[in-house]
Amino acid sequence: MADDTAGPDLASENTALDEALAASHAAVWGYGVVGAALGPGANATAATAETAHRDLRDRLTALLVDREVDPVGARGAYALPFPVLSATDAAALAVVLEDGVAATWVRVLHQAAERSTRELAVGALGDAEVRAVGWRTAAGKPTVTTALPGLSG
Amino acid sequence: MPSLPPSRPPGFSRRTLLAASAVGLALLSTGCTSSPDDEAAEVTSEQADELAVQVAVQEGLIKAFADAGAADPALAAAVAELAAQAATQLERLRDAAPGGAASAAPSAGPPGGPEAKAWLRGQVAAAASSHAAACLEQSGARAALLGSIAAGLRGQDGRLA
Repeated sequence: MADDTAGPDLASENTALDEALAASHAAVWGYGVVGAALGPGANATAATAETAHRDLRDRLTALLVDREVDPVGARGAYALPFPVLSATDAAALAVVLEDGVAATWVRVLHQAAERSTRELAVGALGDAEVRAVGWRTAAGKPTVTTALPGLSG
Repeated sequence: MPSLPPSRPPGFSRRTLLAASAVGLALLSTGCTSSPDDEAAEVTSEQADELAVQVAVQEGLIKAFADAGAADPALAAAVAELAAQAATQLERLRDAAPGGAASAAPSAGPPGGPEAKAWLRGQVAAAASSHAAACLEQSGARAALLGSIAAGLRGQDGRLA
């Protein structure tokens, strides 16, 4: 049931969820690149993150289908923001992926009409930031935590 | 070919979400669906009270950073950046809370020495959980702000591990 107070409607929430789904598709694809660049000896963290995004992707797809919304599909490939030639590059790409996902979950929180959707979003947003902190550290970023994940820029 | 990351939704930015005023979170961006009047009308008294509680929670966290730093001077330097981020979060919360802060419950101070870090981590985790729970009872920009702050503190929790 939607909240009693006036606010975002379910259509807006569904649009935001579809954007989060698109970001999940991109993250799943991107983590394939991250894992390949890290190599078999060091890609366990990337594999765990990829699994988390696959799980969210599947959950979002099911949720949208249940609502009779046609969920966005994955693209065949995505353009990388920079060449990924080293482990440091891979970590930096993972940061980009998690930050991109975080922005869409903040958007979901902004547009959510359902309490259960906010619950999903706040959990996913926190998980994305925790992963991002690890990747920023691996990438040698001078600042590894952020005050307001998903709101930067 | 689409690029990574997916483009940010149009009209959605830090400015969009943080244009919160004492009269009720007027969204300044033209990209948002709600008008300022709509957003102001959405703030129930319960939501306003809850935001005031979260301001007090964040004020308590700021004090925890100071107390932990006093108990362990080496820690103070190590967590200065985290403390500054917590202060930024407090500033945003104050901007969003129409009624100011509620009274914060007094808490025991940190143990001295190296154990202060673990104590501080517990304070950060507790604040994160509190903001996340409060996020569920809010809507619109207020929910987004609380969720983002909770996530930021979860990241700090991991950093302090």
